[in-house]
Amino acid sequence: MENFSLNYELVKKFIIEFIKEEVHSNGFNRCVIGLSGGLDSVLVAYLSKEALGKENVKAIIMPYKTSNPASKEDALATVTQLGILHEIIDITKIADAYFKEEKEMTNIRMGNFLARIRMNILFDKSREFRALVMGTSNKSELMLGYSTWHGDMAASLYPIGDLYKTQLFDFARFMQIPEKIVAKKPSADLWPGQTDEKELGAKYSQIDSILTLYVDQRKTKDEIIAMGYSQKIVENMLNRIKKNQFKRTPPPVAKFSPRTFGIDFLYPHDLTK
Amino acid sequence: MKVKIALAQINPLLGDIEKNREKHLKFIEKAIENNAQVIVFPELSITGYRLKDLTMEVALPSDSSFFNPILKQSKKIDIAFGFVERGSDSNIYNSAMYLENQSIKSVYRKIYLPTHGMFQELRFMGRGEKVATFKTRYGNFSILICRDLFHPSLLFLTYAQKTDVVLGMSSMPLRGLTEEKPAIQETVEKAIDTYTNFFSQFIVFVNRVGFEDGLGFYGGSFVGTPLGKKLAFAEILQEKLTFATIDLEEIYKKRQLFPLAREEDLNIVQNNLNKILEENYGKF
Repeated sequence: MENFSLNYELVKKFIIEFIKEEVHSNGFNRCVIGLSGGLDSVLVAYLSKEALGKENVKAIIMPYKTSNPASKEDALATVTQLGILHEIIDITKIADAYFKEEKEMTNIRMGNFLARIRMNILFDKSREFRALVMGTSNKSELMLGYSTWHGDMAASLYPIGDLYKTQLFDFARFMQIPEKIVAKKPSADLWPGQTDEKELGAKYSQIDSILTLYVDQRKTKDEIIAMGYSQKIVENMLNRIKKNQFKRTPPPVAKFSPRTFGIDFLYPHDLTK
Repeated sequence: MKVKIALAQINPLLGDIEKNREKHLKFIEKAIENNAQVIVFPELSITGYRLKDLTMEVALPSDSSFFNPILKQSKKIDIAFGFVERGSDSNIYNSAMYLENQSIKSVYRKIYLPTHGMFQELRFMGRGEKVATFKTRYGNFSILICRDLFHPSLLFLTYAQKTDVVLGMSSMPLRGLTEEKPAIQETVEKAIDTYTNFFSQFIVFVNRVGFEDGLGFYGGSFVGTPLGKKLAFAEILQEKLTFATIDLEEIYKKRQLFPLAREEDLNIVQNNLNKILEENYGKF
């Protein structure tokens, strides 16, 4: 396994300053977070509370009927621990109204649909609360595209988007998030029994090692395999990175005018700062 | 001397060098069947254009064995194609090579890499420095790549080295859709008309087609001749293999009708350039 150690005190300070400045410079004081009770969203809730204050952070808890009940409990425990605002919105009725009209529903379609229902509610709540939507995607899932496009990926900022899952475990412990939450098997909880590692076909320690070798150190596929990583897993991971690039870029515009969105209309994201 | 040239207006797959090599071999095969003596591919024909971080992953040294199947075919036909070159100086270049009789005759590194607006070439590649003329069985050839063609100074350097045929290998994205032709096509044709007229050269302009991240490469390949003709005009936006038979005799005719080359004086150019460089501390 590669070395993932970071100075988490500094990481914490850096991310808190980032959240403060991004939220405030966009004309907001508040944020909403889709809080599943999993490590990533809990960690973002901790950081957001430190950055914006507990009265300015609202957790939206959105269980579906098949969601693991333990997730909701962990989410509520987090809310209590931090003293932040929260709402519970059960999405079973909304989702099932659609599912019952559809003949063949696969896990993937259902999972994506649930993620996008949550996105819808989160953005609506952000309007109501006059808040930005905090993203909870981490570097591992952003690189692998292991997330729903326009679903859980939809957010105003990604505070933990440059941290691998492997680093989030350590960071969460540093942030004194209860061990019960840190030690859970990572899961999108989109269907019963789903876990990240089962679905991705490898342990995060392996996945993240391969990712950092390829992404950060620019090793080639052959070089990574020669270091002793399984060829099958390496190929699987690199394919996922490439296949899901579309999720990380705006869709192509058929360019013919002098300046075109996504191509050469190159203002910064923070244009109005 | 007459030379039959094949213009391979292809649509390379972005980053897939194996598939692109296959496509090259297919077009080369067709060109051989049609008795062409030279085949010219567009800029970065082996790799595709908008590579960004893929640049490093598709870079190959010019003598890589990956090119052997193409090299083998150069026994039957001269071949010019574009690739990302991993230089022995550990830099990466937007290059093109010319193969003749199973050997590399010339490797040209693009000099002017556009880096503004939609273009990002200097972020990923280094610039070349040398405009060369190389002798082939079919006369003196030079290669220029895409943006190079908008710098008359480079065309002048080929002219000064007695180049008969300039291979202008391009990945020009379309822009401007208000007139009959895309504005960029109008610009290219006017430029080539002017160069071929005043420098009495042939320019083989081969532009790719296809879309990458919204950029649509327009094609419209053709050969401009010293007497102002346009040969082998390929339609826009379609993969095409077109053929032009050029007659090098035309250069001689043109240079007698309009003897600019005879008037040319490189000493005057050099003296003036030296003075300009001195006054401007070597900068443009």
